[in-house]
Amino acid sequence: MNKDFKHSQGLDNGELNIPKLEWKHDRGAVFINISGTWLISCNERPRVLRRWDSLLKQGTDATVFNISFDDSLVWDTSLVVFLRGALQEFEKQKKEVNFEQLPHGINKLLKLSKIGKVAKEKSEIEDLTEDIEKFANDLPNYFVKPVTFIGAVLISFTELVSGKSEMRWNDFIDSARKCGASALPIVTLISFLTGLTMAFVGSVQLEKFNAKIYVADLVSLAMVREMGALMVGIIMAGRTGASFAAELGNMKLNEEIDSLRTFGVSPISFLVLPRTLALFIMTPLLTLYADIVGILGGLAVATSVMDFSAIHYFEQTQSALTHMWEIYSGVMKSLFFGLIIGLVGCYKGMNSGRDSAALGKAVTSAVVVSITFIIVTDAMFETIYSYLELR
Amino acid sequence: MSVEQKRNSTIRVNNVTLAYEEYLVLENVSFDVEKGKCLFVMGGSGCGKSTLLKSMVGLLEPVAGNVFINGDALWGDESDMTQVLREFGVLFQGGALWSSMTIQENVALPLEIHTDLTDCEIEDIVRYKLGLVGLSGFETYYPAQLSGGMKKRAGLARALALDPKILFFDEPSAGLDPITSKRLDDLIIELKESLGMTFVVVSHELASIFQVADDSIFLDAKTKTLLDKGHPDFLLRNSNCPEVIDFLSRHDSTKH
Repeated sequence: MNKDFKHSQGLDNGELNIPKLEWKHDRGAVFINISGTWLISCNERPRVLRRWDSLLKQGTDATVFNISFDDSLVWDTSLVVFLRGALQEFEKQKKEVNFEQLPHGINKLLKLSKIGKVAKEKSEIEDLTEDIEKFANDLPNYFVKPVTFIGAVLISFTELVSGKSEMRWNDFIDSARKCGASALPIVTLISFLTGLTMAFVGSVQLEKFNAKIYVADLVSLAMVREMGALMVGIIMAGRTGASFAAELGNMKLNEEIDSLRTFGVSPISFLVLPRTLALFIMTPLLTLYADIVGILGGLAVATSVMDFSAIHYFEQTQSALTHMWEIYSGVMKSLFFGLIIGLVGCYKGMNSGRDSAALGKAVTSAVVVSITFIIVTDAMFETIYSYLELR
Repeated sequence: MSVEQKRNSTIRVNNVTLAYEEYLVLENVSFDVEKGKCLFVMGGSGCGKSTLLKSMVGLLEPVAGNVFINGDALWGDESDMTQVLREFGVLFQGGALWSSMTIQENVALPLEIHTDLTDCEIEDIVRYKLGLVGLSGFETYYPAQLSGGMKKRAGLARALALDPKILFFDEPSAGLDPITSKRLDDLIIELKESLGMTFVVVSHELASIFQVADDSIFLDAKTKTLLDKGHPDFLLRNSNCPEVIDFLSRHDSTKH
């Protein structure tokens, strides 16, 4: 039997508003009367629920449960959730449940929230096993997908050389401007400070041997051989590589890459090639610029702190850089750094998931992977140079 | 495929099974779309409507089966696919306009890539196509500067750029107000009647389905199959599947 209900009526003034539960056990049957105020905001509710649990333990021999509701009952979701839990428990114990004067609203809500299959909660070990299994299954993809991607870029580059590419030169110029000219301020600042710091550190040490003028050698050689390319590589990875990943990932999210494919346009030729090529060309140029600015950073320290003249500093720099190989060796590395950053950024963007969280992950991953590869490549180059006695 | 079938049927979906890795989406789906007709793909959320569309436009390879466009298999040789892709246009759910380009550049790009037209000719065509969808004067706007409805219309102008014989629409009414949605429906009818184009529309917008569809299929998420096929009015009266009747009968209730 149903009746109208008072849903979330609030507390009546002057009355002690608490949820009430009366329990009578009589010859195999239990009579439960629910009354009072069953609201989420009621502090007394946990106490009643504890009492309910202990009463349930007492009534294990009962086979029939008759639940009635008081006229003055005030309720909200908390009562529905309580009844839902109770019904589940009775069903599990195969008990018969009869409702008397069940408020119409509660009846409807109980039917609406009819329990379906609840997802099985996995244990930590199951989770771990699943992760390992997924990793093992995906393992070939970690190699196959990047290799396929590099292959597609190479094919696309061959098409460009043979004049069959769909790459738009406007996109290349735009990318070159974004990753080249627009990066000049940050490259200037970082390179100048790098040169300056090296000069300060070097001056203190070289002073001990009365060889302060060799600070020019230290700064110039360190910049052209190592720091110029490395600092530009790291700046480009954080700035341009991340932007490539975000840009392409967002395009994937908005189905822009799909729409390119439906027009028979290769996203590799159209999106990846101009960006990677731009970075491949701009990184060495930025490296040369960073070398010069870094040397100027050293000059600032040499002239202002160490009292050398600018001409003296430049003469010493010139004598340190007698072989052009010193400069080429750094520029050669930067070519590879540019290629790595471009490929990793575009690969991560093209393979990002189709949600905003995945996009963030792709950007982070692009930066981390690029920097890792840059450091590894740098170490490899230095080893090769050393092995070939080019240092 | 016989000569007779090839003549009448523009698209044939033959026993297509679709899956995302190990997750099966649709199994053994087969249907034909006749030349110059508009077929609606209906079904509840998550039944695989958009996935089916992806496989029909060359974005998701079926696990089994194939899609034939004008008798040519879409899935098989990649060079053939590029040829087949030029025969149709696709309007994606959000328009999928290339965000770094203006509307004019968006519509012009397929023409620049696939034709030998001069810049002047391309510009004329672009202006005409944008006028067709009511976007004259917006040539220099970027996608971010347009409303949702305008993006879809610009996407439609781009899809029409190469004068395709077939157009695919993914949820054209999603996120649009009823008036803009009706304008898009009217445009489909006009294009179908004036250009004799074939349409495949993924939608669960009942008003559009009853106004525009010549034929329809109903996909079911539970059985992962095609439940029924026919004109929506016919299905509403004669379908043996309660799911189809339930789905379509909401149209009558929404009228009042």
